[in-house]
Amino acid sequence: MNAGDKPRRPYGLGTYLLVVLGVGVIGAVVGGVAGAFGDTPGPAGLAITAASISLAMALAFAACVWWWRGIDEAAREAHKWAWWWGGSGGMAIGIVLFSVLSLRGEDVAPAEIGASAPDLLVTGVWAILLFQLAGYSVAWAVWWLKHR
Amino acid sequence: MNNRLKVLRAERDWSQADLAERLGVSRQTVNALETGRYDPSLPLAFRIARVFGQPIESIFLDTE
Repeated sequence: MNAGDKPRRPYGLGTYLLVVLGVGVIGAVVGGVAGAFGDTPGPAGLAITAASISLAMALAFAACVWWWRGIDEAAREAHKWAWWWGGSGGMAIGIVLFSVLSLRGEDVAPAEIGASAPDLLVTGVWAILLFQLAGYSVAWAVWWLKHR
Repeated sequence: MNNRLKVLRAERDWSQADLAERLGVSRQTVNALETGRYDPSLPLAFRIARVFGQPIESIFLDTE
């Protein structure tokens, strides 16, 4: 880069909202495909569901990486720190909480989520994701408070 | 790590936003750099040196 070159501006709120919208559209399309064809009998339904969810995950991940590479340097560091410490910490708290409650025989989940194995599995996945997201958000805020 | 960013910026009568624009970072990053609470990457340190026309070691001071 020459000394006179103007550096590229880091992505702002508009780009972030665009990525969120794009990921939302991807999720909606994949949800529609999985909903329409996922009930197909036999291995085809399973394959369609697995393929569509995998594709959505890959596209969403690619969009996030593209966005992350374009944002401000310190903001990138904050997300990296939050991803590792916040995500791991949130997951650890969730696992400890659910393990303790399960070992004590408490009814952890409300009755509305169902009692079948798949229902409980999906609930567990979402619960841990929520703990990770909460940890991520707290860690992200802590990083910026420490570096103001 | 201490640095002379605030002094150099004041000498040129630039705001944090001006410097951020020149460096291609956010104003929050410039603030974090000036308070010494965030150490820049090597590419950003080189950009800072170029913007101020000074060697890196005259801007960033090793406190260890």
